[in-house]
Amino acid sequence: MSEHHVVVENLVKTYPGAATPSVDHVSFALPKGEMLALLGPSGCGKTTILRMIAGLIEPTSGAIQLNGREISQTPVHKRNMGMVFQAYALFPHMTVAGNVAFGLEMRGVPQSERGPRVQRALDMVKLGHLGDRRVTQLSGGQQQRCAIARSLVIEPELLLLDEPLSNLDAKLRDEMRDEIREIQSRTGVTAIFVTHDQDEALSMADRLAVMSAGKIEQIGTPREIFDAPANEFVAGFIGAGNFLSGRVTAPGQAEIEGLGPLRFEAPASIGSHVKLMVRPHRLKLAAPGPNAFTGQVDSVVYRGQILTLGINVGGKRLTADLHTHAGHLPAKGETVTLAVAPGDVTFLSEAAA
Amino acid sequence: MSATGFPTHQATGSNRLMLLALLVPGLLALMTTFLLPMIWLARASFSTSSMAAFGGGMTLEHYRAAITDPFYWKVAMNTLSLGVTVSFFAVILSYPIALFLTRSTSRWRGVLTALAVAPLLTSAVVRTYGWMVILGDRGVINGTLQALSLTVDPIRLSNNTFGATVALVEILMPYSILAMLAGFGRLNPQLEEAASMLGASKLRVFWRIILPLSLPGILTGALLVFVLAISAFVTPRLMGGGRVFVLGTEVFQEATVTLNWPLAATLSVVLLALFSSVIVIYQRALRRLEA
Repeated sequence: MSEHHVVVENLVKTYPGAATPSVDHVSFALPKGEMLALLGPSGCGKTTILRMIAGLIEPTSGAIQLNGREISQTPVHKRNMGMVFQAYALFPHMTVAGNVAFGLEMRGVPQSERGPRVQRALDMVKLGHLGDRRVTQLSGGQQQRCAIARSLVIEPELLLLDEPLSNLDAKLRDEMRDEIREIQSRTGVTAIFVTHDQDEALSMADRLAVMSAGKIEQIGTPREIFDAPANEFVAGFIGAGNFLSGRVTAPGQAEIEGLGPLRFEAPASIGSHVKLMVRPHRLKLAAPGPNAFTGQVDSVVYRGQILTLGINVGGKRLTADLHTHAGHLPAKGETVTLAVAPGDVTFLSEAAA
Repeated sequence: MSATGFPTHQATGSNRLMLLALLVPGLLALMTTFLLPMIWLARASFSTSSMAAFGGGMTLEHYRAAITDPFYWKVAMNTLSLGVTVSFFAVILSYPIALFLTRSTSRWRGVLTALAVAPLLTSAVVRTYGWMVILGDRGVINGTLQALSLTVDPIRLSNNTFGATVALVEILMPYSILAMLAGFGRLNPQLEEAASMLGASKLRVFWRIILPLSLPGILTGALLVFVLAISAFVTPRLMGGGRVFVLGTEVFQEATVTLNWPLAATLSVVLLALFSSVIVIYQRALRRLEA
């Protein structure tokens, strides 16, 4: 217990009148200084978990520990957490500095100490020169920075971010993504953020928890989640994939419906049905041979660094992402052969025949 | 080019004519129903003839009479103090209701809002009579007190300023509730959540977040009630039993009993001046708040 900064155990939330719980026996633990992403489609319960940790929603059952203390009965204003809201929730009747100072004021920090701390927090988010502005005069990105400064100036034990980037336009989003990550690692604050955007989760978090229907499907590092998804839901939710099902005919080999034999590296008993997946970027142009499929290109989407091909292999459709610097780029109608290394085939599940 | 950066259509010659043409019906209606009567009222306040507005010469006599007569000063003070008292209590009583209705997430919220303003469906006269029944010497309250032998003589609850104030507060509350509901736009449950996350207790959330953000709504409600209270005539007249003298009742008195129309017009102009100055001061204050 002691080495984990945040521990959530069997957390359940059932809203009155609801047949199924919104959050269903969720448990996870987070070491100090780590950033966890709660990722899932809307309605999967990720925001509810965040709000229960914050104390804004009362859990139906379960435990939440912060720094070894049980806090599920602690009122919101005594939990000492920072929260960045999706719509920022800046106080419109106060200046930028006033917003940032609010938390210090509530903690009874003397005025003389407040000023420098507010200034330091604003400098950290590059708003040092805008302290006297009204928050209504700030741009979206500046409001976001102000919200971050406001939640960090109180030196929270835990930082919570609710869809922090969803209100920003694409360019600003990339910029803020890096910046939030940078500020988080510099301050060393433990953080949990909620998002429905897989890119955001993969690039910002130390670990991510993929959720569906109130449950955590898989929790792990971005790499583990992407390369070794625990099940079909996780594989489908994170990144694109070619999902293949077939019957195991020999050790490490399956007969895929419509494609033929495919070798993979996972133990599966002969005769069982397996589900496998190949990420589009794992398919490469090759000469015909083992683990290679020949078909006709029926769609080409040029995306700058990547060319996405749709290939029709005997009625089955495969998607492949090729690097555009990879020499010859196939055109629509062309016949191509794509191959995948057995180690790059993801094994998802096995069912007895 | 416009300063705001929005693309705007610059009104060209024929465009502008078109705009004017579209405004004509509205302007005409306003002229005949608002501006002309106002001019007539202003002219009447200077008239030498007692009944007609436009015959006869011009005189400042009525203004001199209104200004030098201490009675009218007292009436003006009565009116102001009634307005202030009524708007104070109407705001105090309406605020919790409006706040609850704004913050409630109950599915009954719509019904409750309708109920809160439902009294507007009955005439103020009817409601005033209702208060006479409740507060009268043989009314519900005095009847109960006497039946319980708590008092021998009835307590004076009506036919005085107290009765007029109570009735006006109740009659005008729906207006202040409506004005507040419209003025509470900046209240947002997320701001309250943000404040508590930052360490503010419920009480401090109220003082630092809810109250400042609802102030514009409170002030609008207070202004509306004030204006309606100082121009009220029926309720002060009926609940005051002829013992409460405010500008509204005096205008009525001069116009229909004494038949001194010019003086009634003068008092109306004074009332209008009172309104306008309050509204101007208020709007300045409101704009500063919202800046």
